[in-house]
This record gives sequence, structure tokens and C-alpha cells, in this order.
Amino acid sequence: MQYNWDWGILFRDPYIWWLVDGLKWTLMIAMCAWVLAFVLGSALGIMRTSINPYLRLIGTTYVEIFRNIPLLVQLFLWYFVFPELLPEEAGRWVKREMPLPGFTTTVWALGLYTASRVCEQVRSGIDAIGIGQRNAGRAIGLSEAKVYIHVLLPNAYRIIIAPLTSEFLTIFKNSSLALTIGVIELTSMTRQIEEYTFQGFEAFTAATIIYSLVTFTVMGFMLHLEKRLHVPGRIVVEK
Amino acid sequence: MGDFDFAIIYNNIPFLFEGMKTTLLLTVAAVIGGIVIGTVLAIIRIANVPILAWIAAAYVNFFRSLPLILVIFWLYFLVPLVLGRPVGAFSSVLIAFVLFEAAYYSEIIRAGIASVSSGQVAAARAIGMTYTQCMRFIVLPQAFKAMIPVLLTQAIILFQDTSLVYVVGLKDFLVSAELIANRDQKLIEMFMFVAVVYFTICFAGSLLSSHLQRKLST
Amino acid sequence: MIHLKNVSKWYDSFQVLDNCSTSVSKGEVVVVCGPSGSGKSTLIKAVNGLEPVQKGEITVDGMVVSDKKTNLNHLRARIGMVFQNFELFPHMSVLENVKLGQIKVLGRADDASEVKAKALLDRVGLADHANKFPSQLSGGQQQRVAIARGLAMDPIAMLFDEPTSALDPEMINDVLDVMVELAHDGMTMMVVTHEMGFAKKVADRVVFMDEGKIVEDAKKDDFFGSPRSDRAQLFLSKILSH
Repeated sequence: MQYNWDWGILFRDPYIWWLVDGLKWTLMIAMCAWVLAFVLGSALGIMRTSINPYLRLIGTTYVEIFRNIPLLVQLFLWYFVFPELLPEEAGRWVKREMPLPGFTTTVWALGLYTASRVCEQVRSGIDAIGIGQRNAGRAIGLSEAKVYIHVLLPNAYRIIIAPLTSEFLTIFKNSSLALTIGVIELTSMTRQIEEYTFQGFEAFTAATIIYSLVTFTVMGFMLHLEKRLHVPGRIVVEK
Repeated sequence: MGDFDFAIIYNNIPFLFEGMKTTLLLTVAAVIGGIVIGTVLAIIRIANVPILAWIAAAYVNFFRSLPLILVIFWLYFLVPLVLGRPVGAFSSVLIAFVLFEAAYYSEIIRAGIASVSSGQVAAARAIGMTYTQCMRFIVLPQAFKAMIPVLLTQAIILFQDTSLVYVVGLKDFLVSAELIANRDQKLIEMFMFVAVVYFTICFAGSLLSSHLQRKLST
Repeated sequence: MIHLKNVSKWYDSFQVLDNCSTSVSKGEVVVVCGPSGSGKSTLIKAVNGLEPVQKGEITVDGMVVSDKKTNLNHLRARIGMVFQNFELFPHMSVLENVKLGQIKVLGRADDASEVKAKALLDRVGLADHANKFPSQLSGGQQQRVAIARGLAMDPIAMLFDEPTSALDPEMINDVLDVMVELAHDGMTMMVVTHEMGFAKKVADRVVFMDEGKIVEDAKKDDFFGSPRSDRAQLFLSKILSH
């Protein structure tokens, strides 16, 4: 294997700043998309467990559509096709004038896609709590909404902290798809370093370490959160 | 939408079909490779082989912390370098998928093995079976049967993930469609068509998976 | 106070309640018993609308349960219910469990509901456990908290759905003692249970159900003296033989 090692490249101007900048965009995409996915996914999860059959149908349809089309295809649909389907004025705005078009589209696509996965987690959490808790809440006169707010959701979120964390990490990793529509996030930056310097090994190693470090940090934070929100006396299920 | 051009799809069916063949070939090969390596990793971890179990765990956690795209780039860059000669994109991408998916399959298989009750192991050992026999004849057959729906779900995810070979330009279904789309300026038609095809296949697969799930649980 | 008239319910094509009629007057204690799958649990859940029924009419204190215009939440706030599996809210302390409905449903002030909750916990003998979480208590203790949670709403009636059948034998009496005391205080009660000792002690009437039908609805002494139906005799002989 013929290769000229140069680990110093990673710490040289401008490449180190490329990495920092790439990580910044990766984290920004992940966090913005997560807010969208969490809020929408929770709402959909509530709909899928609702007593109203129409709300359940809406939730189920959403999940089936969004989880059965590859994320990359969804991204292309939002980026290339969606503006064409809008009225002329709006389409032009989305294509030309919208600030940060690549970033915005990625956040939107990633958020809507991950919402379908968050929905399934929230639903499984609520299902795991069982009909008895719902009945107990209703029996003291809580309205349907209050049963969710005070009884079902606080318990469901506690149960699904670990799966929700892994959904967040999935968003974090999936943010790399943004490079296909020209967003210069972390993976794209390392690719760029490889192309400029031919030091692919060093560049990809740097990205690998950064992705792993962020993942393990988030996992550590999750374990801390799980401990803090732990309800006394409950058996902790080993993962 | 009035001028949706169906002919563009119809006229290019053979070309698109070639792309779909690449997609399916990659999926099937990666599923088989992923399950084989995943099973080995899972057994090493469950048997708690010293050092090896630690390495297997590190492997799984490491690959699960990386974006698939980065792994594809890694292998696309590394395989020709290691072999000292250029290789087709398909081989390096396939290796990337097998290595990556093995980490996910190993977790599924580990959970499947753990779901077989410890009483079964005790019973097998009690009639004098060795550990290997017990795994081979008692635990794994039960575990795989229980896992079939989840393995199928993971195969559907893998099928969708193969679209990421786009980043190295391998001519799978998506890339073939995109080539036509750009050549003839038919982005709407082609991407819509791609979405519908993927949806149909994946939705059918997920229906089958939940059907199997129900059948197994009764 | 509680009236059921010709109530029927189906799950798909399977009939779980078949033309059931009975009533509970103010201050009365009615025990509902019968073999498992006889529909008694569904019947008691129909009283506060947790199980909707397809035919017949249920009224509680003049309000029609099955009427779409009836505010079910408002109605449920006035009827306490105790479940087989306690169903305390696991993420809240015992005290918070008893306060929740008072604050969120009745709109009571925090301090007033706290005073009330503590008094009720004292009444069921659990004042010392107010700040514990449900999973730190035994089943019997949890069920007594659940009774306090129901009483906190100042209910006009209490419904009990097999309150002791998920308990270890040594805890059953603690819960029954609280219920007997409630009965003596004049609470209107409808109790699904197999505890015939409890029925003998405080029930005014016993309703016997089988296969979704009310087979027998008699004064306590008549029921235990000479049940009219063979099914009830068989049931009693099985349940009292040990």
C-alpha cells in the first residue's frame, strides 16, 4: 500500500476550520430537525393512540408513507420536485430566494421523515402503559387531553428515553445526506479535504472520530437523564 | 400536473430495470453477508469469549455511531488503496454495506437469542448437548424463527439505504432514474416514479412483516 | 342513584352484556358477583362510561350516561372508581396521586387539596407513606391509596372493580376493612368481588351474573339463604367450599 502519511494536515489552516465549520452545520441540521421530529412525532403518536378513528387513520397513513420511501428520495422530492408543484410565485421563492435553501430543505425533509419514527416510539410507549392507566385517569374525570398531559405522556417519555436518544443519533448521522444537495456539512467537508489534499485517510479518520465522540457524549447524557428522571422503586430494565 | 409525461417512464423501462437489478443484488448480498457476520458477532458476545467479546462489542458500537455515507466513502477510498488496483464501485460499496449492516443485524440476533428462555438451554445441556450443539439445534432455530419479522424489517431498511450509493455514482435504481431525469429534464416524473416504486415494494414488505409478526405471536 | 335499564353490549358479534337491568339506591351497597367472563367487570365500567354500551339506558343521579350531550368527565368526577390493578400513576408520589384530580378536575387550590389528601391518607392508614412512590408500596397499600384517590373527589358513589383479586391473601383484609368502614359511613357502593364474607357483612343486595345476563338480583339474606338459580347455587358452592 503506497501512501504518504501526513496527520498534521488536520490541524493546519484552513483544513481544521473546514472540519469545525462542517461539524457546526451537522449539529445545526440535527438539532433543528430534531425539534420538528419530536413535536410532530409526539402529536402523531398521540393521534395513533387516540380513541378517535379518523385521527388514528391520519397517524397511520403518515407513518406508512414516510417510512416506506428512502430518505434520500424524500430529500430529492422536497428539493427538486416540491417547488415545481407550488404556485409559480411560491415555487420561485423556494428555489431562489429562500435563505439557506439546502439547509432548510434538509431540516424539513429529515424532520418530517424522523417524525414517523418518533411517532412509532411514542405510540409504543403509550401502548406499554396500558388501558388501565387511561381508564384510571378518565375515572377521576380527567378529559382526554388531560389524561395525555398528566398521565400517559409523562410515563411514556420516561419509558422511551433510550429509543428517542437513538432516534436523535439517527438524525445526527442522517444529516450527512445533506451533502447530496450541496450542504457542506461534516462528511462533505472531509470529502473536500480529501479532494484538495489527497490525504483521504486522515480526513476520514477525523470525521470518524468526531461522529463517534458526539455519539458517545449523547449516550452518556442520555444515561444521566434516565437516572435523573427515574421513578423511585421502579425496576430498571437492562438494555 | 396536467402535462405529466408517462412516456418517459415507459420508454426507459429496460434501463430502469437494470438499475433495479443492481439495487436488488446489492440488497440481497448485503442482507446475507450482514446476517452471517452479525450472527458470528452476536454469538461471540453471548458466549462471552474473553477479549473477542469486547472486540465484537466495540465493533458494533463503533459502526452504529457512524453515518452510512461516511462508511461508503471510507471503503470506496480504502479498498482500491489496499488492493493496489482500482476496483468497481459495486465491490467496495458491497463491503461497506456488509460491514455496516453486520453491526445492526448482530443486535437484532442478540436480542433474538436472548428471547429464547434460559430453561431451553438448561434442558439441552441436561440431556448432554455441548454448547455448540445447544446453539445449533435448540437456541438458534427458535431465535431465528422469532426474529423473522424483525430481520425482514431490517432488510426493508437496508433496501432503502442502498439508495445512498448515489454518493459514489453506482448505477442503482435511483441513479438510473436521476440520469434520465437530468438528460430529458423530467425531474418531477422520474422522482415521483422512483418514490412510488420504493413505496410499493417497502409497503408490501412491511405488510408481510406485520402479518408474520401476528402469525408468530398467536 | 344508579339505574341500568335493558343494557346490552357487543364486542363485534360477541355479546358481553345481555339486557341487564338493576339499580343502586342512595346509601346502598350492592355486590356484583359471578364466574369470570360473566360480564360483571364490563357492567361496572359501563356505569361511568368507560365501556360504552350499544343498547339500553344508564342513569347516574339523573344524568344519562349514554347521552352524547352528557359531559362524561363531569360525571366521572362525581363517581369514584377503584380498579383491580390499582392503576396509581407511577410517576407521581402517593400524595400527588390523591391531589391530581382535585386540582386538575375540581379546580381546588393546591393547599386545600393537600389538606384533604393528607386527611384521606390518614383515614386509610397511610399518612406516613404520603411522599413515597406507588411502586414502593405493597399491593394492599396501593389499593388503599387508590380508594383515597377516589374519595378525594367527594364522590356521590364508589365503584369497585375486583379490588382485592390482584392482592396477596394477607393484604386483602386491610383493603376490605377500609371498604367496610366506608359502607358503614353510608357511602353508596357498587362492588364487583368474589369476597362473599364482605358481601355477607355489609351488602344490602347481591347481583349474580352469568354469560352477560343478570341471573339473580336479590336481598343479601335471600341470596345466601336460598339462591333461586342453579347457576348461582353452583357458583356459591364452589366459592364457599374453601
